[in-house]
Amino acid sequence: MIEAFRLGVFSRGSTLWDGLDFAFGDSSAWVVAAPPSSGKTLLLSILRGDRRPDAGNVVVSGESLYRGSDALARAYRASCGHVQEQTIADLRLTVEGLFRRSALAGGDVRDGERKERTDRLLAMVGLPGTSAWRIAEMSNSERVRAFLAAELLRGPKVLFCDGVVAAAGIPCREMLWGLFRALAREGNTVVLAERTIPERWALAAGDGASVGPFRVYRLPIPGTKGDPG
Amino acid sequence: MSEHRSLWWIDWRLSGGPLARETIGRFLFFCLLGFALLSLLLSGGANRLLADRYAITAVLRANIPSAEADRLARKIAALPPVRSAAYRDPEAAWKEFLRAYPGLEPLRAAGGNPLPGYIEVRIRHDRLTGDGVSLVVSALRSVSHVEQVLAGEEWLPRLLNAGRYASWFCRGLFGAFLAGFFLFCRLQERGRAVSLAGDFAFLAERGVPAGRIAVSRAAGAAVSGFLLAAAGTAAGGGALFLLLRKVPLLEGVIGPPADLFLPRTAAAVVVFSCGSALLSAAASLLGWRGARSGRK
Repeated sequence: MIEAFRLGVFSRGSTLWDGLDFAFGDSSAWVVAAPPSSGKTLLLSILRGDRRPDAGNVVVSGESLYRGSDALARAYRASCGHVQEQTIADLRLTVEGLFRRSALAGGDVRDGERKERTDRLLAMVGLPGTSAWRIAEMSNSERVRAFLAAELLRGPKVLFCDGVVAAAGIPCREMLWGLFRALAREGNTVVLAERTIPERWALAAGDGASVGPFRVYRLPIPGTKGDPG
Repeated sequence: MSEHRSLWWIDWRLSGGPLARETIGRFLFFCLLGFALLSLLLSGGANRLLADRYAITAVLRANIPSAEADRLARKIAALPPVRSAAYRDPEAAWKEFLRAYPGLEPLRAAGGNPLPGYIEVRIRHDRLTGDGVSLVVSALRSVSHVEQVLAGEEWLPRLLNAGRYASWFCRGLFGAFLAGFFLFCRLQERGRAVSLAGDFAFLAERGVPAGRIAVSRAAGAAVSGFLLAAAGTAAGGGALFLLLRKVPLLEGVIGPPADLFLPRTAAAVVVFSCGSALLSAAASLLGWRGARSGRK
């Protein structure tokens, strides 16, 4: 359970938002929708433990992320996966390089096991046989899916995705819809930050809750009470 | 623990190709350094050359029996600074004289062999010092059979000084090469740390402490530094061995090839490899720190 209390951020000489409360339960998938420049990326970095909020606190499983021990914060970050909206830093890498780096972050994974899981994950996000491709030569949609698959290699308990649904494109929405809900069903927490929620997802998730400039939707998880799947 | 080990070789995993090229370059340089180090160790700078050229001559009194002179030579040879002590009887001395000054045979016709027997004493290259020579000379002078000791004492200090300066120069040159090499390694490490900064940030974001990355990289650099130094020095030593076998003339300057297998030579190689490991780790840490401070 990730809870944020009275979060506030002061940026560019003014208050971006203040006094916001969030609660992201375990085994669930969430979409945080907000217009551009409202602080979605910032919110995700605060929830990940990368950026201390100017006001308020983040509590993970009952322990303060910013006022607790460093070891706890590190352990939490180690259990998180994060797919950024855009990056030019990793253009020199190949898709296999992404997976190798991700495996390093998660401890030692044997090469054979990593390759086998790499192939399976790439096929799952619609990129079979692309492990030798260079990131620089891939489209935005392909990149974001490759990054997502690389994060999934470590099996993160909490997955933060920044603009992944929009970047992946309409043809991949069904795949992502199924993937995120499957991850949540397996006990993970998925938090997506998007400018808009896809129409079909909004229909399934209902109205959502308004928190400051954000609208927070909880995606229905198949197999849970009240959801037909 | 497995996580620690995987981070030791993080640079290899993230940037294997460029690092392989760097490693090959470092290995070749270690071969040169190893060759120079072993040459320096065996030769002792200019000491081996000087010791090869320098000899103390103990001129014996006339009519000393050969057996007595031989026994005296053996006693002298047992002194710690002495490499060899060989007795030359008057007949051998005369032949040597004629080889050096041909055409002086008539000198003998006048009244027999005018030359006395003598003992030629050679000093060990690592004991060729003023004290070492004094010890031998005073031991020789105290023997009643010895008429005169020719040790070149008037010019020896200058010669030893010149040899010491030459040794310092050789060691300084080697040290400068070593320092330059590790400065270059530090620049390479810094460049690599900068190029992998994005990957390190990725790992830090995912709960891997930056300090652990730096220490693990340094540990990996130390291990590879040790292995490269040991392998490079062994290869350099092999080349030196072959060179000494092919060109025996060099033995007078550097030493016999068998000296490469002495325990003290092996110990020096181990110390050099350990030193290289420490310097490699330091280069890695300094490069890491330089890359991070440059980014701030």
